[in-house]
Amino acid sequence: QIDDFNLMWDSPDRKEWADLEPVPQDDGPNPVVKIAYSERFRDVYDYFRALLKHDEKSERALALTAEAIELNAANYTVWHYRRVLLQALEKDLRVEMKYITAIIEDQPKNYQVWHHRRMVVEWLSDPSEELQFTAEILSQDAKNYHAWQHRQWVIQEYKLWAGELEYVEELLEEDVRNNSAWNQRHFVISRTTTYSPPEVLEREVQYTIRQIKKAPHNESAWNYLKGILQPTGLSSYAGLLEQVEGLQGSCCSPYLLGFLVDYYEEALETNGGKYNLTETLNKALGLCDLLAQDQDTIRREYWRYVARTLQSQYDSGETSPPLTEQQ
Amino acid sequence: MAEEVTSVDDFDQIDFLRDRHIRFFQRCLQVLPERYSSYETSRLTIVFFALSGLDVLDALDAVDKPSLVEWIYSLQVVPTEDESNLWRCGFRGSSHIGVPYNTSTGPGSPHPYDSGHVAMTYTGLACLIILGDDLSRVNKKACLAGLKSLQLEDGSFYAVPEGSENDMRFVYCAACVCYMLDDWSGIDCKKAVDYIRRSMSYDSGIGQGAGLESHGGSTFCAIATLCLMGKLEEMFSERELNRIRRWCILRQQDGFHGRPNKPVDTCYSFWVGATLELLDVFQYTNFEKNRNYILSTQDSLVGGFAKWPDSHPDPLHTYFGICGLSLMGEAGLRRVHPALNVSDRALQCLQQLHQTWREGCT
Repeated sequence: QIDDFNLMWDSPDRKEWADLEPVPQDDGPNPVVKIAYSERFRDVYDYFRALLKHDEKSERALALTAEAIELNAANYTVWHYRRVLLQALEKDLRVEMKYITAIIEDQPKNYQVWHHRRMVVEWLSDPSEELQFTAEILSQDAKNYHAWQHRQWVIQEYKLWAGELEYVEELLEEDVRNNSAWNQRHFVISRTTTYSPPEVLEREVQYTIRQIKKAPHNESAWNYLKGILQPTGLSSYAGLLEQVEGLQGSCCSPYLLGFLVDYYEEALETNGGKYNLTETLNKALGLCDLLAQDQDTIRREYWRYVARTLQSQYDSGETSPPLTEQQ
Repeated sequence: MAEEVTSVDDFDQIDFLRDRHIRFFQRCLQVLPERYSSYETSRLTIVFFALSGLDVLDALDAVDKPSLVEWIYSLQVVPTEDESNLWRCGFRGSSHIGVPYNTSTGPGSPHPYDSGHVAMTYTGLACLIILGDDLSRVNKKACLAGLKSLQLEDGSFYAVPEGSENDMRFVYCAACVCYMLDDWSGIDCKKAVDYIRRSMSYDSGIGQGAGLESHGGSTFCAIATLCLMGKLEEMFSERELNRIRRWCILRQQDGFHGRPNKPVDTCYSFWVGATLELLDVFQYTNFEKNRNYILSTQDSLVGGFAKWPDSHPDPLHTYFGICGLSLMGEAGLRRVHPALNVSDRALQCLQQLHQTWREGCT
């Protein structure tokens, strides 16, 4: 695909380039981190620098940017200059879209290529290929941050929300642990229906609990569950505690236990009088202990720190003190 | 000291091969093969990894400091006679534009496409400080003017005035520049802080921008920026800070990863480790597992560190692997300032410099 756009770079003493004096890089007497370029590489860029200096706007300049990009697609100056030329020469941006599509397929983790694509889409005011394109890139790497960033930009800028929740659900079917997909789920819902309507919140809570049952040790699902409930309060959702405690048998995980710790901490903080403070605190401390000793031992010191923090904040003196000397 | 080539399976017995890493960085500073051509526009950041790395390794003595200082100053984009390019000033990543080598403080010759890059201005200044330079040849007014032109309405920053992507990385770079120049006039702090707040995800991690997935790199950039500004506690309640702590500390698997359900990678031992240190809870992580992971990515032949075991080392992962070890107090390493990402020794030089600047103002 990319070869369709190549001009074979001929020897620099061809007549077409005879009028231009190549400009070498100048690192002075003591170059640092010097890259050892082949002759061809250096030639292309020496001529590129010459064009840049004269700000030449021509077809040969445009062709040279393609050569330069092929050698180093991370050179943002070449991309910028190419954009200047595309506009000055009034080039067909549909052709440019084909070009950038091929380059991104080849180098999907390069920042410059995605920025270039965004500029072309903006100039054309045409986002019609973007959902399909990003889906294609994501089919090769479902967590490519550039692809997700571009996709979110397109959706938000051109209001292409329709069908995105379905797309997210497809991805979660393929991999329920895809954190990028969970993030996208939140992105879509928070900016369309929001989580305020009770039927939306209910649907999302139940959806997430189903996913947890399928894959209990999945931080993404637990983060999502907590994330959508926290704004209104974990304790404000009826029956939540029971549902989560019910999962403890078959779906226990450090995330479930952490969720319960946070639930109890919130209860302590809000202290609506519904709770027996001491009992709640002891439950939270018990969970921290379980996490530290058994369920999340890599974070043993952290869970002890959490317990100490809870203790000093909420201990009214009625809990059993640790076995230390009397004050 | 004999250097053993140990089996990669003997995790607990792997030594930190200090001399190999020193040589790795020294080689970086010389010549790189053509396959590193994608580094061309960011060569100054590679210099930073090498110099700061050697500084942390306490091995800067072998480096030709005066030559390096000159080379770095040759990358400064200085104002032209009529100062019409002030908005484009800062430091270049390399000589790739073709401007002739010039270390003078100006005036510069006009070039239609010559401008600074925020990450190069940041690493350029950091390198000068590491090399003991007093920044007297830095055109501070021009650097700050250059910074201003990079900030968008939403508070984030472009990398270059011609336009580029904008995200948390460049917010951090801009904050470092202001911190080092001891002058926050180059940033609208209110807008920057607002951008950070809006980038917080539902899971309490921080993404590259609003709506984007929370990520260890952007979380570091955001928290470190707030710390450099002195606004961390003003911005986040204790409850929010606790949630950020939780998100960060869950990144530890053995080493650290950057996002939930992603593989670990050596550099996150710094990005996430430093964030945890800034939040006062790094002490509660598992040092042994972290150290063993980082060392498992060490290249015992060539020196350096890679993102994963049995992978090719590169300057970035080598630098951040070493910094990750430094956070845990690894013997023989200088401590690294977790927000500014330079050694404590370099930070002291900077603080002394600031002292003299402030005393000079009467």
